[in-house]
Amino acid sequence: METDILTIQALTKSFSRKIMNSDGGEDDEQYWIIKDLFLNVPRGKVIALIGGNGAGKTTLFNIISGFVKPDSGSIIFKGDGCESELLKMQPHLIAQMGLGRMFQDNHIFGEMSVLDNMLIANSLNSSENPVSALLFKKRLKRDEVKRTEKTAQIFDTFFGKESPFWEKRYVPAGTLSYGQQRLLGLARLFMREYQLLLLDEPSSGVNPEVIEQIKVLIRRFTEQNQTVLLIEHNLDVVQDIADFCCYMDQGRITLMGTPADVIGNEDVRKSYVGF
Amino acid sequence: MDYVIHLFILINIYIILTTSTNLLVGTVNMLSLGQAAFYGIGAYLSVLALLSFNWPLFPSLLFAMVGTGLISFLISYPSIRLKGDYFVLATLGFQLIVYTILYNWVSVTRGPYGITGIPSPKLFGSIEIAGLWPFLILSTVLTIMVVVIFYNLIHSPFGRALRGVRDDELSMKALGKNVNRLKIYTFAISSAFIAVSGFLYATYVSYIDPTSFNLDESIFILSALIVGGLGNIRGPVIGALFVIILPEALRFMGLPDNVAANLRQIIYGLALILLMRYRPQGIAGTYAIK
Repeated sequence: METDILTIQALTKSFSRKIMNSDGGEDDEQYWIIKDLFLNVPRGKVIALIGGNGAGKTTLFNIISGFVKPDSGSIIFKGDGCESELLKMQPHLIAQMGLGRMFQDNHIFGEMSVLDNMLIANSLNSSENPVSALLFKKRLKRDEVKRTEKTAQIFDTFFGKESPFWEKRYVPAGTLSYGQQRLLGLARLFMREYQLLLLDEPSSGVNPEVIEQIKVLIRRFTEQNQTVLLIEHNLDVVQDIADFCCYMDQGRITLMGTPADVIGNEDVRKSYVGF
Repeated sequence: MDYVIHLFILINIYIILTTSTNLLVGTVNMLSLGQAAFYGIGAYLSVLALLSFNWPLFPSLLFAMVGTGLISFLISYPSIRLKGDYFVLATLGFQLIVYTILYNWVSVTRGPYGITGIPSPKLFGSIEIAGLWPFLILSTVLTIMVVVIFYNLIHSPFGRALRGVRDDELSMKALGKNVNRLKIYTFAISSAFIAVSGFLYATYVSYIDPTSFNLDESIFILSALIVGGLGNIRGPVIGALFVIILPEALRFMGLPDNVAANLRQIIYGLALILLMRYRPQGIAGTYAIK
């Protein structure tokens, strides 16, 4: 039976901001970035979130990931054999439960090698402690070899035998082109078996060739029964890969349906697409 | 010859200080002005074990390391949540508090009078490590052990995770890493190994007073590290060599002592300015401080 992997109910997040009053002084005004938001995310699908700047999309991702605490609401994550309220959890525990995140900016480790960027995504916390580093070197080395083999396999599968990534595995990741850094950020998510992936504008600022590679990677997530929640401004990408599309406006999801229905909606076209 | 051995012993003490500080500053980017406080705590705990408990070398050393590590653990718990300048100020505050306690708790530390007559450590309770040569061997063995331990830490998944925290804390959390725990480990390990320097200094000089562990000393340790270089093992070693050998080299130039002392400070300052401008990662480092 198909169930929702994520259920968001009555989510609200506001900020206080200063506004100029008629006397020339300043008053505090409550600004709602997320207001009474409801969303069910079906398992194993690609769900695209579209909406104008300031609609609250990235804030929603930050709340789901635990980086921002909301004023009220509930987010229930139904993973394999577990059901958890995410709002009570720290970001690293949310990630450990199976929620992967790709940020809008390239949050790769620029001074680390390409290979280390992949290995760090798969290392267990238990191996990243000083006692293991000093006393269990052989075991750590064996684990590192396995992770390196997995990295090679991922690079081969997605970027081919002559991919620049494997050749440049010892090069600092910060020296890769912007598009390659985006691809590396996505490839890194294959190092662990995440159940839900939050991808924030993966195709922004990259050329059409890289966009095609990104689409292949996202499809592969769903082939592995992973769920993808995607913020995307490129509507062609949304139509190509999303199963469902949500339109977000002023902190609420105002429309949800197939990409064709949502993008074709007259109100959406007027307010978001601009024609 | 005695003079050369004395220099090598000092170099060993400072290699341990800079290498331990490097884990905190160079690997995780936690700039600390409280390193001399841990150096002092290590020294005073060593003296407590040697003088009051009459313990031999290794139990005394272990006592100093564990004690300093535990104190740093308690300090780190509230302070690691502070970022950037706030963390620097917190460590500065800690440095000032420790110095004030060492200076004013006369009944325990003898305050400004210092503690004299610190006994030489005894290996296995009978072999006394006294004199320059035995001390050179002891300090060299301990320095090599510390350097090897830090090399293994830096070149392990733990070291990689620390570099991850330094580069991008947000990404580390998104990858499921407990960033606070990694910082606490780093703080405690760095402090515990600084206590080794405290032990060596106290037993070598056989006299300690709070002025050896004041803010100037913290800045000196940090300067040595930044000049040598951050992020690897070579940098801290070169930094320690630089700050110990430079004043001795000036001495051979025939300058009066008061001129040489001032010139030394000017050269340290100039070296820092030039390095920050032209080589921010230090002489042999891999990471530029942010």
